[in-house]
Amino acid sequence: MIVTYNWLKEFVDVELPAAELADLLTMLGLEVERMESRGEGMDEVVVALVQEKAQHPNADKLSLCKVNDGREILDIVCGAQNFKAGDRVALARIGAVLPGGLKIKRSKIRGEESFGMLCSEKELGLADESAGIMVLPPDLPLGVPLFEAMGLKDTIFEIGLTPNRADCLSVIGIAREIAAKLGKKISYPGLEVPETGVPISDIASVQVEDPQLCPRYTARYVSGCTIAPSPQWLADRLKAVGLRPINNVVDVTNYVLIEFGHPLHAFDFDLLSGGKIIVRRGADGESFTTLDGQPRHLKASDLTIRDAAKVIALAGVMGGENSEISPGTTNILLESAYFKPSAIRLTAKRLGLHTESSHRFERGTDFHVLTKALDRAASLIAQLSGGSVAQGTIDVSAGPVERKKVPARLDHINRLLGTNLAAEEVIRIFHSLEFTVEIIEPGLFEVEAPSFRVDIEREIDLVEEVARLHGYDKIPVTMPKARVFSDRPTRHQKLENRVKDLLVAHGFNEVVNFSFISPDCYDKILLESSDPRRDSIGLLNPLVAEQSVMRTALLPGILETAARNVSFRVMNQRIFEMRRVYLPRAGRELPDEPINIAALLTGLRDPEGWNQQRGEVDFYDAKGVVENLLDQLKVLNVAYDSSEVENFYHPGKSCNITVNGEVVGSLGEIHPTVQENYGFEKPLYYFEMNFEKLVLCCGEEVAVQVPPRFPDTFRDIAMVLDDGTPAAEILNCIRSLREKEIEGAEIFDLYKGEHIPSGQKSIAVRVRYRSPERTLADEEITRLHTRVVETMIKKLNVSIR
Amino acid sequence: MREKLEALLQEAVTELAAIATEEAFHELRVKYLGRKGALTAIMKGVGALPPAERPLIGQVVNSVRDQLEERFDAALATIRNARKAEKLREERLDVTLPGRRRPLGTKHPITLVREEISEIFAGLGFQVAEGPEIELDYYNFEALNFPKDHPARDMQDTFFIGDNLLLRTHTSPVQIRTMLKHAPPVRIIAPGTVYRCDSDATHSPMFHQIEGLMVDKGITFGDLKGVLTIFVNQYFGRGTGVRLRPSFFPFTEPSAEVDIACVICKGKGCRVCKNSGWLEILGAGMVDPEVYRHVHYDPETISGFAFGMGIERIAMLKYGISDMRLLFENDLRFLSQF
Repeated sequence: MIVTYNWLKEFVDVELPAAELADLLTMLGLEVERMESRGEGMDEVVVALVQEKAQHPNADKLSLCKVNDGREILDIVCGAQNFKAGDRVALARIGAVLPGGLKIKRSKIRGEESFGMLCSEKELGLADESAGIMVLPPDLPLGVPLFEAMGLKDTIFEIGLTPNRADCLSVIGIAREIAAKLGKKISYPGLEVPETGVPISDIASVQVEDPQLCPRYTARYVSGCTIAPSPQWLADRLKAVGLRPINNVVDVTNYVLIEFGHPLHAFDFDLLSGGKIIVRRGADGESFTTLDGQPRHLKASDLTIRDAAKVIALAGVMGGENSEISPGTTNILLESAYFKPSAIRLTAKRLGLHTESSHRFERGTDFHVLTKALDRAASLIAQLSGGSVAQGTIDVSAGPVERKKVPARLDHINRLLGTNLAAEEVIRIFHSLEFTVEIIEPGLFEVEAPSFRVDIEREIDLVEEVARLHGYDKIPVTMPKARVFSDRPTRHQKLENRVKDLLVAHGFNEVVNFSFISPDCYDKILLESSDPRRDSIGLLNPLVAEQSVMRTALLPGILETAARNVSFRVMNQRIFEMRRVYLPRAGRELPDEPINIAALLTGLRDPEGWNQQRGEVDFYDAKGVVENLLDQLKVLNVAYDSSEVENFYHPGKSCNITVNGEVVGSLGEIHPTVQENYGFEKPLYYFEMNFEKLVLCCGEEVAVQVPPRFPDTFRDIAMVLDDGTPAAEILNCIRSLREKEIEGAEIFDLYKGEHIPSGQKSIAVRVRYRSPERTLADEEITRLHTRVVETMIKKLNVSIR
Repeated sequence: MREKLEALLQEAVTELAAIATEEAFHELRVKYLGRKGALTAIMKGVGALPPAERPLIGQVVNSVRDQLEERFDAALATIRNARKAEKLREERLDVTLPGRRRPLGTKHPITLVREEISEIFAGLGFQVAEGPEIELDYYNFEALNFPKDHPARDMQDTFFIGDNLLLRTHTSPVQIRTMLKHAPPVRIIAPGTVYRCDSDATHSPMFHQIEGLMVDKGITFGDLKGVLTIFVNQYFGRGTGVRLRPSFFPFTEPSAEVDIACVICKGKGCRVCKNSGWLEILGAGMVDPEVYRHVHYDPETISGFAFGMGIERIAMLKYGISDMRLLFENDLRFLSQF
């Protein structure tokens, strides 16, 4: 909603500096989002008199003028032709800065000096287009700043209104708020209508067939109008609030719309068949062309205004082309009606037709302002177009929209706000808002809000009004006297943070991808056509197709992010995402939204540097992160199973991560085809885990073991065995001996190649022996180690080197 | 014999003074104190002495050995100190060369802001609650007093999945879910992902909010001001101005927009605050009685407040980010700065 300070001043006596008024409005809940001063800093543009005008000696299209600016006679070179000696003009003196930022300087034009510039309306920001310079009325005093002399100095406030404040969609509405806050009275515009001739009832009739959607319809008749452009003051006002002037009739309806907040419509009466208005629902399949030239297909839910033969307007939304005011219009029927908000909203929404009119009707208009707005418009139209208003008003009403009295308790108000307001203060606030107050008993009131405050229905609405007018800033700052209780974050929340911390410690950067992805992604990551993850939840109204389904996997987002970073020349990446995926559940209203963990590694293992190790990440870097993570989370019985891996992995370099035999995630090198699909040159290593499953198998804090007091001894075995034997089998083989003096074993070397037969590998294992009770004797260790070696030869068919 | 011993001592001291290296020192030590050394050689002669003289000479031998050992120890210390000093003089690293490192990762700024805000409210006894992102119309709108066909629904451009199913447009449905599950008192914050069909430099179709809710006996609008003032002071710094001004949300009344004094210009007016000196950071208000009706709370006996803020907005202010899209582009050159 845009209003100007001068317009507000017509209704409320306010003299605050504009910035203070803006602050006052904002603190009332009418947020001033933009403030613009007209004529501010334009005092160097003044009314001046052209005393002489002569041809420029060196240019056909320029003239040399002697201009009196009230102080001195100045030489001015001017390019416009639309003025003569003796005219008053707008002169920008040297030093003036015009709205476009043009600074006026002393200049030489084709050899002649010029000490200022004669301005056009466009140059002064008063019009979008102008032909020639501005020629002023002859009675303006010389030397006076132009904006002051013309009364154009003004401030424009653009106010962001919340949807509950329909009453403030007008200059008068905002003036009322100012008056309430400052304790002033509103002066409403005079509404005498000069009526002549026959009564309107002899000329036109109104028939409301749907009083539910149209509880009140009023009309006036103005005859003998001459359609012409609006006078300057009216056009200026409309332009200032962002409306385009059209003609003196339409502009008046718009002016009154802004002034009173009530939408009006003017019909060319001679185009109405039967001189008749019928308010009725549309018929399905009916079609009609609105003012904007668009054909509209109507439904039975749309309320229409029609004459004896046809639809002439979409009630409360937009008029029809077939009855609009045109240059040839002479007789006008003015409509001012009340339409049911939800009905207007339905039609406006369905047709995507949001107008100044529908905006107001759907928020609720003032039932009682109808005839005032109608009278105001009728008299202005008569005045500006030379027409005469017929006697009387048609007023078809099903009776006023019921207003109930709202009870308000003083203690309740104070209890909710944390204030200690006296009854008198609360009553004063209600009165300032034009509410009527009846005191039922001390501290209990019955309040009736005026018809323009459609938002006041409940006691809590009154509490808010008290808080608002009293001032939010005056409510004391306190701390709640709440019962003390404290809950720690849940295990789930703690583990979520822990996993993120661990991944960060492993050098991973967290990324946040959109939850919606392109449905094509599933092809790109090679999901089987029968994969349940292809069944993702789609949006009915996505912004773009690439963001149209809710992801069932994190991999596509991670790959896209990695590819984007490669395009930024970031080649070494460790990234992770730990967020939800969205999985439909049969028979349930809401899908499952488990948190998944996804991480990707690519490029160099360590950053390049003078003393850094060289080498690119591989499968075992990814696996090491997984192992650390699971260790830290105290997950036991973890295994890595390379059968039946996901399609998006390299089949020979990937596995599932299982805990107690259940798959909780997967790990591996991304399949070369997927790698190609996303345009990567280097291999990518990836792991993902189902966080919800992980939470279930995370151990509690373990009981610590006292560090051993006796020394350990280790023996190494180097062996050659079949290349297909997994390393885990060697370790399992040692573990299976169940010797309590074998503390552990690790693989410390792996070799294939020269000196080793093909299809075989050499592995070196270090076995650690220790007893918690004593230092082991050499013979004991030898006995144990012999057993280890023999078992290995027997079970795994290894040859010891 | 005594003379021999003293001469030996004298000779050793002289030789010791001349050596500079540890190897020379060890040779010398063997020469005098070794098993086949000079002192042993002299001591072999003790047995040839008359028994009466032996103890006396024995004492002298011991004394000379002690003195020799002392001298040698001292000499060794001197040699070693000299060597250490020399080493310390010579050993020099270029400390400006970078260290050997594998850089740590970073959390996303949205996570960082969420964690910090959650921590502040945890300190005030608020527990973290969560809810689904794919939500029923009832929880997202209806129970929050957004009736169907009400213009208030236009305030939030909604992504729809079905007639009754949508992507939540705010974290407020968690209020409803929590109150339906727990009797008062309730004190929660609900961080989460939310969605609106809007995309430009200051809007992202997916973004994050933190919702707060406190319901108990006797909670006032003044308490809302108190809790938010504490939050602002802890997060943005002590003494940061806070301003509440009237606004409208269907699920709170009275409702407020909460501004803080611009953190960039300290309230003087700048580009970020559009010269107002204030930055809007959250919406808040007293829970509307209509909401209590949906969760079967009695507004005559309890009261409470709710607030909600956009995490991106706060991250942008905190880190000086001007384009919200940067938060979702996941450019590692950006993310690795956190």
